[in-house]
Amino acid sequence: MEAVLWYTLAGTRGGPNRIRILQALDNRPRNPNQLADHLDLNYDTIRHHLDVLADNDVIESSGDDYGAVYLPSETARANWDTVETIITQLDS
Amino acid sequence: MNSWILAAQAATAVTLLLLSVLVVVWGKNYRQIRSRQTLGMLVFAVILLIENGFAFYVYSLDPVLSVWFSEQVPNGPWVAMAAFHVLEAVAVAFLTYVTLD
Repeated sequence: MEAVLWYTLAGTRGGPNRIRILQALDNRPRNPNQLADHLDLNYDTIRHHLDVLADNDVIESSGDDYGAVYLPSETARANWDTVETIITQLDS
Repeated sequence: MNSWILAAQAATAVTLLLLSVLVVVWGKNYRQIRSRQTLGMLVFAVILLIENGFAFYVYSLDPVLSVWFSEQVPNGPWVAMAAFHVLEAVAVAFLTYVTLD
């Protein structure tokens, strides 16, 4: 999981934005629209990043319906020290 | 002129192009995320870029070696060398594909 976190968050073109999304979701679960507002990013961009993060089991959605909120997955929680390390390095 | 050299030249040129993309992406990430991991990816791509630049120079530009490679090296060794370069291009292409996500 550590390698997946590093690659999806720090090794790819969309990594820095995905860190911001994960940080916002750690703050509180949100749906794609709320994330787009909060991070001032395009809805489709948010959707794409959410799909990549969910595909890699970094986040999970609360349901399939429209407006379902996303939150960090159990696996991401179990490796949260790695996530923190990456987040801290983005801020500095 | 051996036609296998064309495959090697094309493969190293494609690899050079793809590695430039990776250096840009990983360089940008390293500027934002100053970690050993992001630096590691950047250094990896830069060194592989130098390797491919050197190979491209030797096959295409060096006045002595380019002639030697295209006229003196028989088919057998060329098939092997071209295969190395094509496989490396394919490997770097996949890495670029997942990195542009």
